[in-house]
Amino acid sequence: MDFTPDSSLAEFRQEVRRFLQDVPADLKGLRRATRSPREEVMRWQKVLNDRGWGAPYWAKEHGGTGWTVPQILVFDDECSAAGTPTQDGFVHKLLGPVLNAFASPEQKAQHMPAIFNGERLWCQGFSEPGSGSDLASLQTRAVRDGDHYVVNGQKIWTSYAHHADWIFLLVRTNPDVKKQAGISFLLVDMKTPGITVRPIRSIDDAHHLNETFFDNVRVPVGNLIGMEGQGWSITKFLLNNEHATAADLPELKRYMRELKQFASTLHVGDRLLLERPEFALKLARLDAELQALEMLVQRVARLEQEHRPESHTLGSMLKIRATEFQQRITEAHVEALGDYGAIAYPHPHEPNPPANYPLQTLANGIANEMFFRRASTIYGGTSEVQRGIIAKMLFQL
Amino acid sequence: MDFDLTSEQQLLQDSVRRYVDKSYSFESRTALLKAGKNGSADNWGSFAANGWLMAGLPEAFGGLGGSVLETSIIAQQLGRALVLEPYLGCAVLAAQTLAACDNTAQKERLLPLLVEGSSRVALAYSEPGSRGMPETVALRAERSAEGFTLYGLKSLVMGADGADAFIVSARIAGTQGISLLLVDANSAGLERQALPLHDGTWVEELNFDGVEVGAEALLADAGKGLAVLQEGLAYGIVVLCSGLIGSMERTLEVTAEYLKVRKQFGVPIGSFQALQHRMADMAAEMEIARSMLHVALSSMVNDTPPVRDKTLSSAKMLICRAAKLVCGQGIQLHGGIGMTEEYLVGHYFKHAMVADLLLGSSDSHEAACAAALQAELRA
Repeated sequence: MDFTPDSSLAEFRQEVRRFLQDVPADLKGLRRATRSPREEVMRWQKVLNDRGWGAPYWAKEHGGTGWTVPQILVFDDECSAAGTPTQDGFVHKLLGPVLNAFASPEQKAQHMPAIFNGERLWCQGFSEPGSGSDLASLQTRAVRDGDHYVVNGQKIWTSYAHHADWIFLLVRTNPDVKKQAGISFLLVDMKTPGITVRPIRSIDDAHHLNETFFDNVRVPVGNLIGMEGQGWSITKFLLNNEHATAADLPELKRYMRELKQFASTLHVGDRLLLERPEFALKLARLDAELQALEMLVQRVARLEQEHRPESHTLGSMLKIRATEFQQRITEAHVEALGDYGAIAYPHPHEPNPPANYPLQTLANGIANEMFFRRASTIYGGTSEVQRGIIAKMLFQL
Repeated sequence: MDFDLTSEQQLLQDSVRRYVDKSYSFESRTALLKAGKNGSADNWGSFAANGWLMAGLPEAFGGLGGSVLETSIIAQQLGRALVLEPYLGCAVLAAQTLAACDNTAQKERLLPLLVEGSSRVALAYSEPGSRGMPETVALRAERSAEGFTLYGLKSLVMGADGADAFIVSARIAGTQGISLLLVDANSAGLERQALPLHDGTWVEELNFDGVEVGAEALLADAGKGLAVLQEGLAYGIVVLCSGLIGSMERTLEVTAEYLKVRKQFGVPIGSFQALQHRMADMAAEMEIARSMLHVALSSMVNDTPPVRDKTLSSAKMLICRAAKLVCGQGIQLHGGIGMTEEYLVGHYFKHAMVADLLLGSSDSHEAACAAALQAELRA
């Protein structure tokens, strides 16, 4: 064990800060809520690409930065602190590694330039009504017809389908084999005739989620990734990436900064909220746990970097604890607002916010974020699924 | 940062693990509990012979000059076996406090004896009103012709039984701040009462009724005593927390084994999802606690004392609460057997309860963290 700080990481942080200083002012200090509006995401991608950081999470050989996980965490942390737009996580963290590993040279030539230049946003078509955590039970069919697949079926919880240009899609190409064996991985242009996107309004009063319908959608055979029937193993590859980043640590740190800001800004009677013993104790508990979570992230990152199998169980523990922490700290935000915590402020990404509510600048988006975080223990493998993984892998139960 | 042990650290861990597996089974521990206080002299001799008493002490005074990491590694393994010997009280709290003070003559005289196990010193810093927090000291020392005369009470002195001397925190009349004095265990006017703790270890309450010591007994003068004490206590908190990680590890192992063999309704109870999920939560709680121990270790290596002390307070409360939860759930998953004195899992919970109250409770440390945060954010 060695806990002396890595000085190269401090230098790297300075390098990121210097870069962020020169970012256009209208791309900084933004209210971050799960994902920034489409135009901001696209502009930010161009800015990153101009700096040579178009793929911050990928290896050098794929045109990425080749950063280590601790470097990635520093980069995300600094961007979050600066309030830059978010990135298209679907393409950078999920689809990108799949394309790098499985796509043909023609497919890479078709998609990579658009990904780097921020000209094409993606969404993920995995979940179906009734499939839940049993992803392999999916029913959407793709039937070969000449040099096309004809896709019919329905996807649900398709985040940002209404912003996306393309979708990466799991389809059943063979209904007669074991359910995992008959699945294929397709890339589909969202403008293809037969695709309908219907919004699902979520409890955070925002529109990220959708139902996506496929009615005789003709997809060129050349859009198949890997081989027909290989979709399940590609999906497992995709889902096994990024245990360390599932914790959303940079956002957790942002929440803590904001909670501390509330503490030293808001009043209860004639005293600062900070001076209330019950609030100070809650803050102390959250602060301690965040330090522990941050260290757990570093441990998981280290194990992942060395491809050690313990990264899976430890990653599952991190997923459970970090997502529950996201819920608790955002609830603490809302409670800290007192009366104003009960106000339904407009979502910060609504195009025309109504008249100014009291405390709007401080409170805007806080409750939306708190309600949205109820999803974090569901998506990416529910807490219950993670517990099953731990019991099985760690204790052989 | 590197979370893996170096080859030397691995050897150290393996050797402590071998020792506790072989010589410190639950049965031998139970026998020691029945036989008397604070373990056995033979075991203490082995600790010394294996170099565990010198690992974290400076080379100039007979130690190995290892960092807090080595001490933590030893403590984790000792915590797996719930050793009864006063490693924390004598080898860590007293020895590290002594090592941090300026009295070179006393260090040259005493530390080599502590390292070889031929003498023991215990730390008497806690008073009924201090609840583990070292700033609250009512014990009074008056200057005399030869040195000092002490009046007052010290509670909960770990490792007092078998100690040859005590390091005592005191307020010297006419001075500001806390001083540290070395007091012979057999001094006239010193009344000692042995008290058992829930986990089978023993402490003493010391009543100083005009105890006289010479001028050479002054280990740290007023204004320096608290900082020296805090060095010793910092080490103590890390070691206490390290031991709890070992206790939690062992509880999880034992409980997982039990879930596989215990059958109900015709199947191993480990096949029930409710119990699997409980185990997963306990494991996650332990790994959060282990991560917090890493935070504490990192702070010991890198931070200034005020930052370190706040971090250690965070660690103390988080890890002690985790230990109570994990060890408590260990009893729950065992059912009735977990409640029996003859079965080991209940003893881990007893130790976790005791550990929470030693060196300042979770509640006290949480309040300290809250106060530190308030000060930081007011600035």
